[in-house]
Amino acid sequence: MYKSAIFLLFIIVSTSNKCVIAENDEDTSTDLYVIEGKVFPWENGAPNGWQLMTHVMANGGEHYGFLREDGTFIISNVPSGSYIIEVVNPNCVYEPVRVEINSKGKFRARKVNLIQTSQVIQVPYPLKMRPLTPFRYFQVREQWRVTDFLFNPMVLMMILPLLLIMIIPKIMNDPETRKEMEQLNNFTNYNMPEMSEVITSFLSGGEKQKSKAVKAAKKRQ
Amino acid sequence: MAPFVRSFRGNIHRFLIDVQILQYLIILVGLFNLSLCLYEDQVGKFDWKQNYVGKIKFASFDTVSAAKKIIVATEENVIAALNLKSGQILWRRVLEKGYAGQIRALGGVTDGDLVSVSGGVPAIVRAWDLATGHILHEWPIAEQNHDRIKDVKWHIKDGTLHHILPIYNSAVEVTSYDSKTGDKLKTRRVSAPFITQETECVLVAPYLACLKGDSSLAVLLLVHLFDTHSQPQSVTINTIFGAGAQGPYHLESVLGEEPIVSISADNNQRKRILLVGEVPVPIQRDIVGDATLYVVSVDNENILLETTYKNGVTEIVASELLTSKSMPNISTSVTHNSLLSPTIIASVCPRQTKGVTCRHLLASEDHSVALLQHNKLIWAREEALANVVAVEIIELPMSDRDQEIETEFDQKERDVLSMMFRRVGSQLKQAKTFLQSMLSFTPQQSNQRMDLVRDKFGLHKMIVLVTSAGKLYGIETRKGEIIWQLRVRGIRGFSKRSDAIILYVQRGSRHFPYPPQCALLAEDKQTGEGIVYTFNPITGQPLDGLVKLGYRIKQSMLLHVTTDDFLRGILIFDIRDKVHVYPKSATAIAASIAKNTYIFTADQTTGILSGYSLSYSTSQELISHKVWELLLSPKNQKITHVVSKNPIERVHSQGRVLSDRSVLYKYINPNLVTIVTEGVGHTHKNTLNLYLLDAVSGAMIFSIMHKRVRGPVHVVHSENWIVYSYFNEKSRRTEIASLELYEGKIQSNTTVFSSLATTKLPIVERQAFIFPAAIESMRETITEKGITSKHIIVALANGGILELPWMMVDPRRPINPEVREEGVIPYMPEIPIHMDAIINYNQSVFRVSGIHTSPSGLESTCLVFVHGLDLFYTRVAPSKTFDVLKEDFDYYLIVIVLAALLISSYITKKLASQKAQKQAWK
Repeated sequence: MYKSAIFLLFIIVSTSNKCVIAENDEDTSTDLYVIEGKVFPWENGAPNGWQLMTHVMANGGEHYGFLREDGTFIISNVPSGSYIIEVVNPNCVYEPVRVEINSKGKFRARKVNLIQTSQVIQVPYPLKMRPLTPFRYFQVREQWRVTDFLFNPMVLMMILPLLLIMIIPKIMNDPETRKEMEQLNNFTNYNMPEMSEVITSFLSGGEKQKSKAVKAAKKRQ
Repeated sequence: MAPFVRSFRGNIHRFLIDVQILQYLIILVGLFNLSLCLYEDQVGKFDWKQNYVGKIKFASFDTVSAAKKIIVATEENVIAALNLKSGQILWRRVLEKGYAGQIRALGGVTDGDLVSVSGGVPAIVRAWDLATGHILHEWPIAEQNHDRIKDVKWHIKDGTLHHILPIYNSAVEVTSYDSKTGDKLKTRRVSAPFITQETECVLVAPYLACLKGDSSLAVLLLVHLFDTHSQPQSVTINTIFGAGAQGPYHLESVLGEEPIVSISADNNQRKRILLVGEVPVPIQRDIVGDATLYVVSVDNENILLETTYKNGVTEIVASELLTSKSMPNISTSVTHNSLLSPTIIASVCPRQTKGVTCRHLLASEDHSVALLQHNKLIWAREEALANVVAVEIIELPMSDRDQEIETEFDQKERDVLSMMFRRVGSQLKQAKTFLQSMLSFTPQQSNQRMDLVRDKFGLHKMIVLVTSAGKLYGIETRKGEIIWQLRVRGIRGFSKRSDAIILYVQRGSRHFPYPPQCALLAEDKQTGEGIVYTFNPITGQPLDGLVKLGYRIKQSMLLHVTTDDFLRGILIFDIRDKVHVYPKSATAIAASIAKNTYIFTADQTTGILSGYSLSYSTSQELISHKVWELLLSPKNQKITHVVSKNPIERVHSQGRVLSDRSVLYKYINPNLVTIVTEGVGHTHKNTLNLYLLDAVSGAMIFSIMHKRVRGPVHVVHSENWIVYSYFNEKSRRTEIASLELYEGKIQSNTTVFSSLATTKLPIVERQAFIFPAAIESMRETITEKGITSKHIIVALANGGILELPWMMVDPRRPINPEVREEGVIPYMPEIPIHMDAIINYNQSVFRVSGIHTSPSGLESTCLVFVHGLDLFYTRVAPSKTFDVLKEDFDYYLIVIVLAALLISSYITKKLASQKAQKQAWK
């Protein structure tokens, strides 16, 4: 059953593909062309021998071009067709270019657009490949900064209570702020047991203190 | 005062909660950000790269430049300069892959320039800068005779490239070009009517030497290539060998600067050489047949070097060419591990103050290269590693101490008294070693290296490599050091399976005291019959040695059950459909599971796929029985890929949670095989078919056809998905397509999958994406339990290795952005390549032929080994390292904070008691 299905498939393939091949046959010619261009190094600080680290690749390695000392290159033995020309360099990003050579040997270079393949934005030929940006392979490790340290929850937990304990009593001596605070307090009334009290009572251990603390709280209210 | 404090504290509390929420948010954003990058200070911390050039084809010493070096051209289409002192690569140029970049000639080094001829029709001539490796000139040779490129001989001398083509029955055509500009200088025709297709000819510039005649009577004819008026000279075999020589004769040119040919006779038992010139001079001396020859000039005198190799000893005998007077000060003999029947491919003997020092570049049969100076081997390069065909990553054994503990708690004997004895014994031993170390005795030589032991997280492993030269290597993963090497002579890869050699791990290193065992399956070079070679992958010791099977192997399989000594047998299927088990002792265990054992075969030439069942087996003999057969039309379609899942893979989650909280169950069929066929011939050239086949039942699960699509195809098959890449001819771009299989909302069998019971076809989700780079190889990551999400490691043609999250090629990525599912990103046609997902940063690797992934002891981490012209190893953590603390974890901060909290609580305790005291006094 499968066999027949596959066979059927092949019939469909064979019929549908004939026209495609016919199209392709038209622009098959034996002439070979040469793609030319120049690669520019990254302006500041191109390391010595960058030409050695760089090569030019057509269609993912079908044809190679190597750089001369001045950065120019040729890719020889190219039949007519469409080629994506990429510059391979481990340190810089270069934008690829699509070069089309028609059967009469006319060259056209355009930007590579993989999504809208019919869109044509021409670029000059012979090619001029300029680096876009250097590669950034690495994540930047977080630097030690004072703000980061201070906003670390652990540090916040440690320092803020300390501040509260040390500084607030001094501000509290001012009667006006006290009044304001009392007003504020009326808006926000929490019934939660206070962490600090629980901790202090727990650490000081005795029942006495606890009851005293409760008393003190009562007094304040 | 207290109310204020309280309110303030409430605010803090709220703030703290906010911070937590913020943190969760950051984590969530981080998940979607999918950044998997490396920090700059981690460079080289857990990765390494090694560069190779491949098997040497041409080599030449550069004595002209200021910095002395060796120029090599290799079978891998690489031109490189090697440092004379260390053998390191000074520069390397990788030419086109395969036929298009094949190097045909290399020359001109003695004149201070370097010219290479490479490629097919038309060939490309490239001139390189000797010192830096830049290209100077490049031009194609216009070739008239397209089909005769193999017969063309090239000669590069004095800035001129001579293209020498014999024209049958009439002449030799010599076309000269300027090697820099490509200008045609001259075309000559030298008459040579004797040349036919069968004539054996070698180039000994400026002559072409041809051997004509059969084994009884042969004549050597010499044609001067640059003199059109000269007549061919002829030398009969009898003038060279004297009477009584027997054919068949074989003609070879002797490497070196002088025009010399060697002719072997008497079935390659002996050979003689002939100095070619205006008057050819035969040397009346027999040379042993297996010696390789090289002629080097010392003080304008020609010296013949004969290299022989016997029982590990390489002997180079030097003698004066004309007088045959031996020269013991130049002759050497070396014994070294990295030499195996070497031949001299380049040699120089400059006169120095101390005398003549010769340097020989030796290329061994196992592709390694070595430089010999005097009697010393200066360096050796293991160039076999440029052509790796099989890889396994194996866990290292436990350290000696752990092994002792292991023997102590051996489960087999449960007798109290013997256990007691063993305990005391081992403790005595421990005390003894302790005392020894205290009294600084030399420690006992262990049979293994101290650092080659298993580490805590199972990250330190051994990579076992099989190369096409038949050489095996053991490389540890930490630094990439070669621990052992092993030569298996007389084997080759399966010619039917594009020279693949199969490597099986029969026993891992977890079964102390049994040694780990690997088995190699290959073909015998002479007979083509199968061989099995077993060895210890940790030490590189052969175990059973080379076992000739005496039949041709069609298919093989590693059994999943072990014998009593934890050895997994190999099931071998020969071409007459007979089933064998290696080792023989595992037959009983194989027979016990034969009921559920199935084998399938795929024949590339006939396009037939067949499935066999072993259920008719008896306990003594395994009998195979064909259960299904499938024909994939071989005229139109050629099977190019058969991809099954990694047998050690585990799937952690059974399904996928949808947005409505229901579960879509995965179709996890371990017997599922992906088969890719590509169209052949003119009409079907650009079609590609992909079939999903159940290898047990032979059921076709799914098939898909792509039109106007061509290779290279790369397939990854894992869990319930298949990802494959191809080149779309219509849109002229590389695309990645993915398929995902689901059973539906109900799982047919929750415990075990059966190919025979499940008849319902799975739901197939599929999608295709544009990929903006050419792909060389693809492989999925694998982890111990399969909890960690899967990534796909993609080797790009530009030398990068990309870690692509599977999430990006998820076929359930919704096209409608309003449909949201957990962990699914909306569909976008193009997959972006993030620079920080390139795991080998600027350490580009070229000509990647394969990627091997292996789980580590950590669930989060997967080990990745990339091989091709270069070797690269690293580890990746697809879901980040969730099971270990980050390496930049701030231990000091946590200690400081805890200490400060402790101190502050004591201080507050003090303060509180003081306050209470004060209040009590009020």
